[in-house]
Amino acid sequence: MIEVERLTKRFGSTLAVDDLSFSVAPGTITGFLGPNGAGKSTTMRAILGLVLPTSGSTTVLGRQYRELEMPLLRVGALLETFDAHPGRSGRNHLRVLAVAGGIPRSRVDEVLALVDLGAAGRRRVKGYSLGMRQRLGLAAALLGDPEVLVLDEPANGLDPQGIRWLRDFLRSLASEGRTILISSHVLAEVAQTVDDVVIIHRGKLVRHAAIAEVDALAAGSTTVRSPDADRLLELLVSAGLDARSVGEGRLEVMAPSEQVGEIAASAGVVLHELSATRATLEEVFLELTGEPGERGGA
Amino acid sequence: MTRVFAAELLKLRTLRSTWGFALVALLLAGLATAGHIGGTQAQDRLDPEFQFQIVLDAAFPAAVLSLLLGMILVTNEFRHGTIARTLLATPRRDRLVAIKLLAGAATGAGLMIVTLVVTASTAVVWLGILDVPLKLGEGTEAASRAFVGVVLAGILGAAIGGAVHSQVGALVGALVWIFVAEPLCWALLGLLDVGGAAEYLPAASLGGIVDSGGGGLPFAGSVAMALAWTAVATVLALFRTSRRDIT
Repeated sequence: MIEVERLTKRFGSTLAVDDLSFSVAPGTITGFLGPNGAGKSTTMRAILGLVLPTSGSTTVLGRQYRELEMPLLRVGALLETFDAHPGRSGRNHLRVLAVAGGIPRSRVDEVLALVDLGAAGRRRVKGYSLGMRQRLGLAAALLGDPEVLVLDEPANGLDPQGIRWLRDFLRSLASEGRTILISSHVLAEVAQTVDDVVIIHRGKLVRHAAIAEVDALAAGSTTVRSPDADRLLELLVSAGLDARSVGEGRLEVMAPSEQVGEIAASAGVVLHELSATRATLEEVFLELTGEPGERGGA
Repeated sequence: MTRVFAAELLKLRTLRSTWGFALVALLLAGLATAGHIGGTQAQDRLDPEFQFQIVLDAAFPAAVLSLLLGMILVTNEFRHGTIARTLLATPRRDRLVAIKLLAGAATGAGLMIVTLVVTASTAVVWLGILDVPLKLGEGTEAASRAFVGVVLAGILGAAIGGAVHSQVGALVGALVWIFVAEPLCWALLGLLDVGGAAEYLPAASLGGIVDSGGGGLPFAGSVAMALAWTAVATVLALFRTSRRDIT
């Protein structure tokens, strides 16, 4: 559905994207994650034909974006930078896009209502708040009722209420079977919405995995305390787990607490404490995207 | 192509600046016509060239406005970042440049229609009061020439906008060229005893279309030169626009 194949983009001496490859499967929502300046926007713009690759290629629906006929009916996009003329009303902005994209004009009022901008549609865009501008951008992306959505930092500028609205909105879009690539620099922001994540850093792919796998990375370790710690340690190690004694009858086990508890129970080992030490998704994200020096907190 | 062209026209119609340009064209046409009639001696008003020149005088500001509006309809896209959304709808950049040129032509035609309506209305009423007989043939020929000149100015403006992208750069550059650089070139070429070459410069070519009385190139030659300059600007616009990253 969306293919990025060995994409490299240089801006002068700056290497923005470095030999990046990934694909977004049809009907899935993929979070495209990385710190600011990681190359997310450049990659998305390359997918949309706005940035010309130095090497490599990008395709949407099996073709380069610029080869798509009536592209607004196939692919909707929200860009990080605002792209409406400030002197035009939101409604007229969408009317222009509808005419250019071969989209029925009746869709203009439909999408304005969808993003809750119906009342503000006739106001000039320069009077819109940041949140309203984001909603207008989403309306523009949805105008052609496209099967593919490329959304660059859609939560930027939204207040907590707006972010919640966006999350619900994306969920509803996903339930309609659309393919969505959504970028963010905050993993937690998209974790509840996405199926997969593509994490990049300094233009390079760090990880492409199901969100469940990333979640598993966050599972972290388990601390267990038992009057029979030595025996429990033997049981855990013989079960293939990474476990070690930390003194005073305590063990630290690199496994989910459920698994540790089950092993102890099946051997009749008494436990005085069983607690999970869970990393946040952001900690996992920082771990994945951090430099060695940053990881150590140096 | 048709729907994208229609979208370009809708873009123009939905901006106040377009109507501001039309209003300025209207005022300048009225002033130019009134000034020409009022500033001409009674006996000279019977000269066959008189009514011809009324229309051409009014066309000059329309040509300048058409050139500027042509630039704005392209450079606005880069100034306000709307180019990204435009290219999402029309990803073939060569096609977009072609449509912008057509929109420039339509802009020029619109401005010239406004100009002609005002000029004709003012002239008919005023000359009627002065009992000067109207010569439809003279007016029609002048209007046709003016129409060609102003439409070409719109196309050239769009092509320059596509080549330069910066709104300030294009507008200031064009005005400096028309009112400073090209007159200097005229003077320089005159000093070098090749003053005739100045007729081939861009503003002179456009001016030659709407003013045949200056002793410059004939109408057809002026049109050919204006088309040549437009072609040069179009090639630059295609080159620049097709290679630019929209970030």
